Amino acid sequence: MKISELAIVFCAAAMTMSCIRQEPLNAECDIVSVSLPGDVLNRQPLIDNNKVTLIVKSDVSLMGLAPEFELTPGATIEPASGTVRNFLLPQTYTVTSQDGEWSKEYTIIAEHNNTINLNYGFEHVKEASALGGACRYDVFYEVGPTGQESMEWASANQAYALSFQASTPNTFPTYQGEDGVEGYCAVLVTRSTGSWGQRLGKPIASGNLFIGKFDMSDAVNHPLEATHFGTLFTNVPSQFSGYYKYTPGETYCEPDADGNLVAVPDKTDSFSLYAVLYESVPGQEWLDGNNVLAEDNPYIISTAIIPDRYASEEWVEFSVPFTYRPGKTIDPEKLKAGNYSLAVVMGSSQDGDRFCGAVGSTLKVDELSITCVSDTESN
Amino acid sequence: MKKILLAVLAFFAIGVNEISAGGNQGFFRSLEYEVNAGTNIGGASPIPLPAEIRKINSYSPELNLQIGATVRKWLGTDQKWGAGLGLRFETKGMKTKATVKNYGMEIIDNGKTLKGRWTGKVQTKYHTQQLVVPLTAFYKLSSRVVLNVGPYLSYAFSNDFNGYVFDGYLREGDPTGDKISFTGDSKASYDFGNELRKFQWGMQLGASVKVYRQLVVNANLEWGCNDIFNSSFKTVSFNLYPIYLNLGFGYVF
Repeated sequence: MKISELAIVFCAAAMTMSCIRQEPLNAECDIVSVSLPGDVLNRQPLIDNNKVTLIVKSDVSLMGLAPEFELTPGATIEPASGTVRNFLLPQTYTVTSQDGEWSKEYTIIAEHNNTINLNYGFEHVKEASALGGACRYDVFYEVGPTGQESMEWASANQAYALSFQASTPNTFPTYQGEDGVEGYCAVLVTRSTGSWGQRLGKPIASGNLFIGKFDMSDAVNHPLEATHFGTLFTNVPSQFSGYYKYTPGETYCEPDADGNLVAVPDKTDSFSLYAVLYESVPGQEWLDGNNVLAEDNPYIISTAIIPDRYASEEWVEFSVPFTYRPGKTIDPEKLKAGNYSLAVVMGSSQDGDRFCGAVGSTLKVDELSITCVSDTESN
Repeated sequence: MKKILLAVLAFFAIGVNEISAGGNQGFFRSLEYEVNAGTNIGGASPIPLPAEIRKINSYSPELNLQIGATVRKWLGTDQKWGAGLGLRFETKGMKTKATVKNYGMEIIDNGKTLKGRWTGKVQTKYHTQQLVVPLTAFYKLSSRVVLNVGPYLSYAFSNDFNGYVFDGYLREGDPTGDKISFTGDSKASYDFGNELRKFQWGMQLGASVKVYRQLVVNANLEWGCNDIFNSSFKTVSFNLYPIYLNLGFGYVF
């Protein structure tokens, strides 16, 4: 009796002290979504943690756009939502959190995006860091005729940092190599993701590089969906060419139900290197790891895939035509309206999307180019 | 309080006196011994709960055993006041699941750290094995009920504080950092075991009730006065205090 009374008194005391307090104000300061009044945007804005890219229709002037923002609840933005600004140059906005303690600067770029590169030399990288500076990785970008950055390649390097296995750029799955056909090249290596990756059922990471956007926020949960392949393309591609070198890793493995790698005898790893032209439609503006080469994807127009990929320590030159899917053609109206997208995708283990492959498989790629119909006509 | 202190001091004063006077025979004969065993129910809790903790979804005290012995000396002619010294081995633990918002988190693996603010669910398991030395004053409330109060010192020879985060997202570094979601089956484990303090002190307050001849039932509240973590550890931004109710029985002879 006495004991139970004591227990009750103790619990009551603990509960009084343990009252859940009032919810703190939000500390985050994100741009959640961006809209533009009128029929101005060609496709959904691309929102990163401190950058937004607005792809506007080709006949819309960049000089007087008034983007409207949805922010983290309670956050404020300066200049205010709906302010008309000149987007011939990138514009800066500052978002301040509801609790007033945090703020973040966003650069907002508006572009017609019809200036995409057609030749990729992998000569330029910038370094990004992760885990509070404990590791650094390469981010490839291409420059336009004026020497300015014109496009950034996407890769899952940032997600690989979460495996705690990498430190310097060349310990990541994708980095710049020095032995290019000309200058530098891209190097893609299939890596182990250590105990952490294994616990998440993702024991390897295939080296990967693609035109598109990598969605870091979804990388752990849905790695296949996190790769948004493709960007707006307004030409008719006819040929995909370049150079590669490939060394498969020693042991091809598949993960079992617990995420442990199990060797598959008599199987040799292979790589992927291809280009896809597809139609961007609302609800499926990009292709991802689930459907980029799917036979039943009705929006794929044409693909350029190297049919006989083999291991080689010397550079192998390739040139493959874009092959139209049965019944598919390019509609000139849609092409002009910016309804098509092009993805170039490479991976050091072609089954890396299912976390199958050989650790150590190395793909090197250089001097890729996309030849377009108008180019061949003018030649 | 003064009285308690006096009683404790008196215990030693008398002890030293009697031993030095060579009259220790009498002193030891008047000592009372108790062996006891029990279980600890409680947890390491912030006081008050910080605003970052939005909800306690589940709590399990786990089975925490305790065994120990106490030496007691009753003082004066009325033998109402006494003092005692104990030694006990005990385990303290808990398992909780909480929903948090903007909560300091650090995931360490392979010598590297992913640090940031977590919003979502956190599972925590705390388990420690300690040697505890309580130094307490006793007061006989009646022939059956004895109260005790006093400080204790403890040394932890095994410490675990670990768990995982799930169903939420991390903002890397601070709330403006990259957002990394963990939903579905994805979880990230953390381990702060090496950051736990080895030496702690606290206060205990309790009562014993004689239920049958030499058998007593004990209830003691042990209130830790140190944060369970080393002061250099900043990831958990608030202090956690071990607060346990010890229930058990003892045999007095």
